[in-house]
Amino acid sequence: MSFFGFDTNLPRDKGHSTNAPGFGHHDAFAGLGGGVDGDAIDFEETYDGLGEQLDETNDAFNDDTFGGPTSQQGVGKDFDFAGETSKIAGTIHEEQMLFQARQPPSQQKPSIPYASKPARTGYESYNNPEYIPQLEARADIWGLKPKQSTAAAKQSEIEPEPLLQSHQLTGVPARKMMSLDEVEAMMRGQSFQDAPVPMMSQAPPQSYGQQPAPFPHQMPHGQPPYPGMPGQFAPHILQRPQQPHPQQGPPRQQQIHAELPAQPIHPQQPQQSQQPQHPAMLQRQRQQQPPVSQPQSQSQRQTPQPAPHQRPPSQPRQILQNPNRLSGHGQPMMQQAHPGPRGSFPGHSRGPSFPGMVITHPEQLMALSKEEREAYLEEDAKRAKRNHKIFELSKDNGLMTPQDKNFITRIQLQQLMSATGNLDEKSPEAQIAEDFYYQVFSSIRGAPRQNPHQPANQFAQTYLFQTNSRFGARRQGRGGDNHMQRMEQQVQRAVEAAKAKPKGKQLVIEGSLGKISFSNSKTPRPLLNLKRPETGDKLKQNKSLVADRKDTLRNIEAVYMTLMHLEDHDRTRPPAIADGSPPEAIQAHMEWRTKTEDLHKKLWQDIKIMEPINPQSTTPHPFISILSFAKGKKAIQRIFSHIDEQERITVVTMIVVHLDQLSVVAHAVTSQDEPLSLTIREEVELFLATVIPPLFAHISESPLNIIIGLLGLVLDRTNMHIVARTKVGMSLLTILISRAELLKQSPPKLDPSDWEHWTELYNRLFDVVEPVLPVIFPGNVNDTDDMYVWQFLASMGVGASPEQQQRLVLGVKDRVMETVTVSKALPAEMAGARLANVNLFMRAIGLDVELLG
Amino acid sequence: MLFFSFFKTLVDHEITVELKNEVCIRGTLKSVDQYLNIKLDNAEATDELRWPHLCSTRDMFIRGSVVRYVHLPSSAVDTALLEDATRREAEAAKGKAK
Repeated sequence: MSFFGFDTNLPRDKGHSTNAPGFGHHDAFAGLGGGVDGDAIDFEETYDGLGEQLDETNDAFNDDTFGGPTSQQGVGKDFDFAGETSKIAGTIHEEQMLFQARQPPSQQKPSIPYASKPARTGYESYNNPEYIPQLEARADIWGLKPKQSTAAAKQSEIEPEPLLQSHQLTGVPARKMMSLDEVEAMMRGQSFQDAPVPMMSQAPPQSYGQQPAPFPHQMPHGQPPYPGMPGQFAPHILQRPQQPHPQQGPPRQQQIHAELPAQPIHPQQPQQSQQPQHPAMLQRQRQQQPPVSQPQSQSQRQTPQPAPHQRPPSQPRQILQNPNRLSGHGQPMMQQAHPGPRGSFPGHSRGPSFPGMVITHPEQLMALSKEEREAYLEEDAKRAKRNHKIFELSKDNGLMTPQDKNFITRIQLQQLMSATGNLDEKSPEAQIAEDFYYQVFSSIRGAPRQNPHQPANQFAQTYLFQTNSRFGARRQGRGGDNHMQRMEQQVQRAVEAAKAKPKGKQLVIEGSLGKISFSNSKTPRPLLNLKRPETGDKLKQNKSLVADRKDTLRNIEAVYMTLMHLEDHDRTRPPAIADGSPPEAIQAHMEWRTKTEDLHKKLWQDIKIMEPINPQSTTPHPFISILSFAKGKKAIQRIFSHIDEQERITVVTMIVVHLDQLSVVAHAVTSQDEPLSLTIREEVELFLATVIPPLFAHISESPLNIIIGLLGLVLDRTNMHIVARTKVGMSLLTILISRAELLKQSPPKLDPSDWEHWTELYNRLFDVVEPVLPVIFPGNVNDTDDMYVWQFLASMGVGASPEQQQRLVLGVKDRVMETVTVSKALPAEMAGARLANVNLFMRAIGLDVELLG
Repeated sequence: MLFFSFFKTLVDHEITVELKNEVCIRGTLKSVDQYLNIKLDNAEATDELRWPHLCSTRDMFIRGSVVRYVHLPSSAVDTALLEDATRREAEAAKGKAK
């Protein structure tokens, strides 16, 4: 105490740091509390310490926002920084929101002091994080102490002294520098001090269970570290939206009036005081509520009860709907937006609340300078506006059930499918055409996928795999996932729909020069869109060689296409018909057969085998030309499986007749001087691997007369000196001779005239081959690839007469001796293999290499 | 779709991807999509001295447009089938062009 009775305590001595957010040296309560200084000191013990918890680092904009000392010195508009700043208050505010949203841990801070201040009555329960505030007991406060709070509220407007005293009673040091947060916290503390006992006793225990959801959110968010945050102000901010405020920036007094009715009237007529302010909301809620006998308890439950009903489902959605803005605080603000319109008393819907708020607020405002007030009110209005907006948006929360959302998802998926799907490509056949390699490869290599040779609907099912590979891998092991099945069916239906609705792949806008081509996931937009010249290759006719080659290649491609059509057609073979089959099935079968016939005929034409043979022609027969290409050779095997017996004979005959014209024979004559080129050898090997096996299979089932015919053709029409010196020719001869030998030895005795004919042919063959015997071996003696020669010699030797055998031995004697000599120098394995080859022949004529040793 | 179809069969095979920036990466093909984007597991640069920054990367997603070559395991390719698939593709393309 100073001589003049001034308060000599510096502000920093009064328990509230000047650095703390608030109003610097300007203490709104300093003048008021002068006479009761001693009481104020006592409050230190019960002070809840909210001021200390405030984030000290967050006050960078305090002075800017609230004016601070500078603007309070009445310098004039020239230095109205706060007024200027207030224009961007919204931005600052948002920045703060963002900042806070990014620091979730800071939200937990406020709960600590509650626990750390045991002296504070009414807050003990907050030690337990599960604790639920006595929301309902709030009304009991009104009920128990109506006169006091009403009186305080009314008096506070007229004269501030009584209010201050009530503050002192509840233990708040009046002369501290106080931020709005502190004042509010103080009020809250007061309210709880007022009515702790009735709360505990009256609140029905089971009703606690209804409120766990809202409270944990409110605890942290209710007290953001920065005073400018909406958390503390939320109650009166939130009142705004439902109040019929035509203008958003009302004069101060008007605002106070708007806020005031919420509280003071309440105790006397709880119901009526609530209803007029938010009729719509309350009606809605009331329908859900069981009638309660006590008017007071009804008013208690009315507000808190709906909150648990509505909030839990709506919160996450709100976040989803506003992911960008208010990401962290969107949730609490939304929460507040709900109770705001619903309950006119902020305290009710928010649990531990701020009964003195409305009273104090004008005080607080009055304590501010004009600029501060304007800034504050402007910011306030902005917040209210935003909250109102959020409320508007969020009022439809929960309209859609999860089922609805699934439904929408499926529709979207359907659209996606129809957008990505190509028109008329969804049939199984088109499917296989599109993904042929993968489908067939998988079936061949035994991938865990349905193979494409199964009925059509399974193609459609595999369709899902294309869009989502995750399912594909697990398709078969998948259990009865109902949802996924429905999705799948949906996709199938989507596929159907997409088929029905053709979509252009290009759009030509009228008058424009270019085309816009649409791309989608299945057909990425082609970078080059070339137009093929229609008459391009007609000019090259004079180049006959090139044309021949091209023609041949084209023929081969035609063969392959027909083959594939045939194979595709085979897959669609309808079920076999029996006597009792319905006519449609028979009809389908007949149609299928007709189609098969057509394709078969086409194939026969495609291989050009029936083209007339022109011996004088310089160009080989088209069919033989086909065989000169690797892919043509490969086609033979597939062709054989589609043609009938007669046609196979034709093919074999054709090949045999042109044996010396085959590229693998004509260009593959072995000589001891120069080995065959690699390309030729590969071609020969390919021919032996692809063409000879079906020929062999066919010949080995043919009767003798066919063999005789074929051998006769070889002898008559071909140059045996060439044929006998090639691997392919010799292999074919071996096949023919050995077949004849087998027939000769097999039980059913055949027509002796045939045998005579055969023996005659054999003799001719022997006579023709004998001169070339020394040169039929490929390369020199070190060339190991001579097994086919020994096989040929063996088959010749079997059927040969003793005299012919002798001539055979004479012909190849040198080679036999050389081989035996060479094999002695070789490792045992190789030597054994080579000697075994020689022995093939030696045994056929009743000898053995052992005898030579 | 042919290449997509083809590369799908190479899933779980080891391939070497040569990128247009000369980087060469060997790894197990995990998945491929319509744009021939490639996902590799156990990926490693073939020349780790040259591209040491790739040493620490084991899983890669390669955008299809940056791939120059893909070295295939020949045993995993069915050439005859591939030829047929190519024919079908060509026929389909011809059908569409008309």
